[in-house]
Amino acid sequence: MAANDRCRRFERLVLPHLDAAHNLACWLTRDEDDARDAVQEAFLRAYKFFDSLRGDDARAWFLAIVRNACFTLHGRNRPPGIMEVLDEELHGEELIAPGPTPEAAAMESVDRELVNAALAGLPVEFREALVLRELEGLSYREIALVANIPIGTVMSRLARGRRLLQEAILKRLGKEKTNAMR
Amino acid sequence: MLCVETNRLLHGYLDGELDLASALALEDHLRECAACRERFTGQQALRSAVTGKARYHAAPAGLRQALRTRLAAEGRTRIPAWLQPWPATAMAAAALLIAVTAWVTVHQPPAPTQVAQAPAERKLVYHVNSSDDVATAFRNLSNLLDAAPRTRVVVVAHNSGVDFLISGARDKAGDPYQPAVAQLKSRGVDFRICGNTLGRRNIQADRVIPEAVLVPSGIVEIARLQAEEGYSYIKL
Repeated sequence: MAANDRCRRFERLVLPHLDAAHNLACWLTRDEDDARDAVQEAFLRAYKFFDSLRGDDARAWFLAIVRNACFTLHGRNRPPGIMEVLDEELHGEELIAPGPTPEAAAMESVDRELVNAALAGLPVEFREALVLRELEGLSYREIALVANIPIGTVMSRLARGRRLLQEAILKRLGKEKTNAMR
Repeated sequence: MLCVETNRLLHGYLDGELDLASALALEDHLRECAACRERFTGQQALRSAVTGKARYHAAPAGLRQALRTRLAAEGRTRIPAWLQPWPATAMAAAALLIAVTAWVTVHQPPAPTQVAQAPAERKLVYHVNSSDDVATAFRNLSNLLDAAPRTRVVVVAHNSGVDFLISGARDKAGDPYQPAVAQLKSRGVDFRICGNTLGRRNIQADRVIPEAVLVPSGIVEIARLQAEEGYSYIKL
């Protein structure tokens, strides 16, 4: 492929997903500068391996590269254990058993900061699944591609992630209430 | 269906990922079971909170621009033209010609100030958009011309980078910029200054030193030099 054609095709297929890439990188690294570095790194890597893009899902393909760039970037100074992903399939249902029911009214009243803090505080694998699903609207198949996990794991990861998120929000809400009463 | 079975299915249902049979079975169960229905409503509320309130970190404009520039550079340098089979080169050249013609028609850039160059010659456009960059740019250019005297260099000044091309401008040490500019000019460096910036900052064109050429827009000039004349972009 001529360099110019390759470039134009890359621009047409990959550039539209730059916002998604940056959003994912920000949520994974929790640092705007790191996110920027990771996206730039991923962009060049994607261009280099552009010929490996098969099929039409350029978004999932590119996001998988972004995700790897984020983890590589954080690989050096990541505290041990944070990336150790539990095998949800083995741990079974107790992990995704329903937590406290979030009252719809309580959820409506939470402010942005609280939601952001609760989501940012989740272990990275759950944060990743939720961001891809709720903010990017990816299908389970696409999330499986990006996170490199089986589709069945996507569903349990989302189930557990939502439970953790809901607990985190309710806990923070409870703290706010306690502080307000003092 | 047992309530315990819905733990996982509820999420697949919420995400529109269940097969039809499971979806129908779950709907039946939700009609009968108030507790599961309440959990489902709770999950919907949680989703609305996340989709509606969690921050979306869109890519900053600067990042987008940097990547586009990078991509443009890759497109030019990745595979040398002489390595490509000629029909591809011819087609690319034709496409480029059409693009450039359309572009020229719309943007009416200044007439080219130089004669055609040998293809092997290096061409660099330095983008100066801050006064802080000027000293570095001068040092860098001087070293560059010592090492590779035949390099064609255009310095495009834009934004707060225009100051050094205004008559009487001095650097932090109080020395005037003009002699250094004149010296680089004598070594073949072209200086171009952004008209938009001058307009926005109410600087009259006659205050620009004679070594610099006024162009309508610095950014468009940088794009034109890259797209049309094969310049490589350098930002210090």
